Amino acid sequence: MKRKLLQALTTAIALVAVFAGSGLAFTEGKDYQLLEKPIPNAENTLIKVFSYDCPFCYKYDKAVTPKVVPQLPADVTFRPFHLKTKGKYGEFGTKLFAVLLAKDQANGLSDKELYGDKSLLKKAKMAYYEAYHDKKERWDAGEEAFLKTGLDAVGMSKAEFEEGLKDPQAQALIAEWDASYDVAKVQGIPGFVVNGKYLIITKSIKSVDGMLQLINELLKK
Amino acid sequence: MNFLQKGWNDLRSEPISTIAQWQHGRFLWLLMAGMSLFMVILAHSVFQHWLYMKPCEQCVYIRFAFFAMVLGGILVAINPKNVVLRVLGYIFAIYGCIRGLLWSVKLNKIHFVAHSDDPFGVQGCSTEPTFPFGLPLDRWAPDWFKPTGDCGFDNPIVPDGAVLSGMQQWLVDFYRDGWYLWPPSHFMNMAQCTAILFGLVLLVLTVCAAAWIMNSIRNREQAAETRICNAPQ
Repeated sequence: MKRKLLQALTTAIALVAVFAGSGLAFTEGKDYQLLEKPIPNAENTLIKVFSYDCPFCYKYDKAVTPKVVPQLPADVTFRPFHLKTKGKYGEFGTKLFAVLLAKDQANGLSDKELYGDKSLLKKAKMAYYEAYHDKKERWDAGEEAFLKTGLDAVGMSKAEFEEGLKDPQAQALIAEWDASYDVAKVQGIPGFVVNGKYLIITKSIKSVDGMLQLINELLKK
Repeated sequence: MNFLQKGWNDLRSEPISTIAQWQHGRFLWLLMAGMSLFMVILAHSVFQHWLYMKPCEQCVYIRFAFFAMVLGGILVAINPKNVVLRVLGYIFAIYGCIRGLLWSVKLNKIHFVAHSDDPFGVQGCSTEPTFPFGLPLDRWAPDWFKPTGDCGFDNPIVPDGAVLSGMQQWLVDFYRDGWYLWPPSHFMNMAQCTAILFGLVLLVLTVCAAAWIMNSIRNREQAAETRICNAPQ
């Protein structure tokens, strides 16, 4: 009787050890999930869906993404998508960020440098985050006031911005960012998507290194 | 005074049947429904509208939980002696408490992460709410159920040009850092307070339901014994 009990106990311990050992692997449903509607033309990419009106996007853009993006494999492209449906000025944010990202690209900045000091996108984005979240600015005066915050941060005039909107690259970005909505409605934002189809479950991210490991594993899938 | 004294004495001498008896009256059920309704109206009319503290996604879910308790209380109060109504009322109320408790715990976790430098371990708010059973409450009553604020941040945000009364201004300043039971020392955030409230009501409901069930079993046994004793030998 006693021996049997002992045997059962050892088996149980062995089983626990096996499962604990496999705890390093990432699982679907817990660490990531498959998007119902994959984002087209997104092989070898990490897409970040964000909004200026989102406290955790600000937190991630302060402490996480600037560390993750430069460490991505060389052949992987980082693509920020601004969500136009969130926030009172979501559409204006999308237009301005698209113009600025197109300008960054035209200036020869690589996707890995979008968190560097040269990026106009980063300057405007941080200005909006700080205004909205730290200073509780809500731009009640209207869209002009909203645009001014971003334009002032990068030293651009309203006319230059409107000229930039005519750039086909800016228009292409605005169109492709429409895919943001289907990503955002799954679990909210920020939303990180690998290869256009694997959505990382944000609450399971525990560290910068853990997030990089997961991204690398999903890239290989 | 006599009434309270009697209640206390009954509770001490016959706890189970006394608690079972209480739920035959409307008072406790209406108390629960009234308190839950009061909480939602306080959140909506005072904090959301008067003090410009916008509700977040978890906050509107918590309102939904309170409404389940309102409905449960009213259902039983229609006729507290009706067993079907009472079972339904218990289901609604206990459901509301459990969901409310879980949402409060989640909001509390988000609150702490949102106010720390470490962003890991939680999900921010979703862009649109998904209510249980797919209820489109945010479309039916957007003013009550559409989240317009950010989880973890319930500071008053006064629109430009709004003219505040002296009292309003004082309260807006008082809650400057967000809703706390005692804002100056950030003592007990909203999620912690609602969690305690849901937990307490859940405890009371469980005790009442248990007393009701135990009392019914005891009565049945007694009835059976009486029948046996009275049976002709």
